[in-house]
Amino acid sequence: MVESGKISASQAGKLLYLTVIPTAILTSPVMIFKVAKQDLWISPILAWSGLITVFIALRLHRMFPGENIIQAGERIIGKFLGKMVGLIFPLFYLYLNGIVVREYGEFVVGALLVNTPLIVVLGSMVLVCAIVVRGGIEIVGRFAELFLPAFITLFLLIIVPIIPDLNISNMLPVMGEGIAPSLAGTLVLQLWFSEFITYSFILPFVTDQKNAAKSIMVALGAVILTLVVSNLATLLLLGELTGNYAYPFLILARYINLAEFFTHLESLFMAIWVLGAFVKICAFFYVTVLSAAQWMNLSDYKPIVYPLGFLLILVSLWVAPNYQEMTRAISTSVNLSIFTVFVAIPVLLFGLACVKKAVHKNKTRG
Amino acid sequence: MKWAAVLGITTILVIITLREWPKLRPEMKREKAAFAILTILDGTLAFLLVFYPDLPGPTQGLDAMTKPLVKFFGNLMAEWSG
Repeated sequence: MVESGKISASQAGKLLYLTVIPTAILTSPVMIFKVAKQDLWISPILAWSGLITVFIALRLHRMFPGENIIQAGERIIGKFLGKMVGLIFPLFYLYLNGIVVREYGEFVVGALLVNTPLIVVLGSMVLVCAIVVRGGIEIVGRFAELFLPAFITLFLLIIVPIIPDLNISNMLPVMGEGIAPSLAGTLVLQLWFSEFITYSFILPFVTDQKNAAKSIMVALGAVILTLVVSNLATLLLLGELTGNYAYPFLILARYINLAEFFTHLESLFMAIWVLGAFVKICAFFYVTVLSAAQWMNLSDYKPIVYPLGFLLILVSLWVAPNYQEMTRAISTSVNLSIFTVFVAIPVLLFGLACVKKAVHKNKTRG
Repeated sequence: MKWAAVLGITTILVIITLREWPKLRPEMKREKAAFAILTILDGTLAFLLVFYPDLPGPTQGLDAMTKPLVKFFGNLMAEWSG
């Protein structure tokens, strides 16, 4: 057993919530607005890959208790093919995490620490995350539990003060061109909702398994609700301008002006972003390290944390020459390949597992 | 400037190795091999990126692999959003 730590089901749910939501709040409104226009708040409700990945993670864990999707895959499609699939996951988590780290760095440098070199911002974050991941799943889970109340409070502190300035007519006409534009928006959102497959790697360490399904459904519902609220607030405040900003939610925080006293609250959003990105990077990094260690049959994942952390910094600098190029890649090729790896491959594995089980049942019966 | 980066990378990798290597017990052969391979990979990639910053990355690979699909979905989304 590579990992000896245990977390509770509620910690796992909170971890998954904070794993999915931070970058979704930051970058998804612009990407959805491009295709869905004023229906961008409907897209999170219709995004179905979250449900599929959660369902598969839970069912696969019920079929193969105590095993994550890679270990289950080795049993379903055999040792060799299983190892091939098992290599794709750590590589993809490393790559995706590189994108997240880069997004974090670009945002902090672009909006707050203008004169700090990117490498310093990236490097310090990855170092902190490496220390946390070295501590094991328990530490990651506790950080998620610790940061979630702060995250939600800060989120509400941004949303509530702007409620009087919201203009309902910005969201009209609702579904003016039918449901198709919001469905096109869900294609963009698959990127974030498919990240729920991470739950498959966390599930084996959950102590109270009977609450696992409930807590992840709450997390999925909370993600959808948060995205609907943040997208709606952005749209109602900025209207047609939503598509013009790189980070519309940051504009919301800048807009707040309470009695000429509370102004420039973008530092609040920066706090949300740093907390959220920290948990997200930790979770992805943990999965990378864990699945890499399992792939290499190591008895302990701790020795490879720092080398993989260094690799993570390199990948984050390597993914794209600049932020614009990265957002283009995220909404096109990265989105599709993430969908393939995080949704299509698990669906395939799950289908094969079901077929195998049915065949096995027939054999024993006949 | 480039040599400063090379020096920095070497220092970091040496510090990581000095910190982690003593913790690996003699019987942990697999772990030692994994650590060594990953550290060498780190060093190689870091030096390559210092001297050739425009080295084609994983994103270009994915772009090339998903080109036809991206085109298909791009058209689909354009059609749906009207």
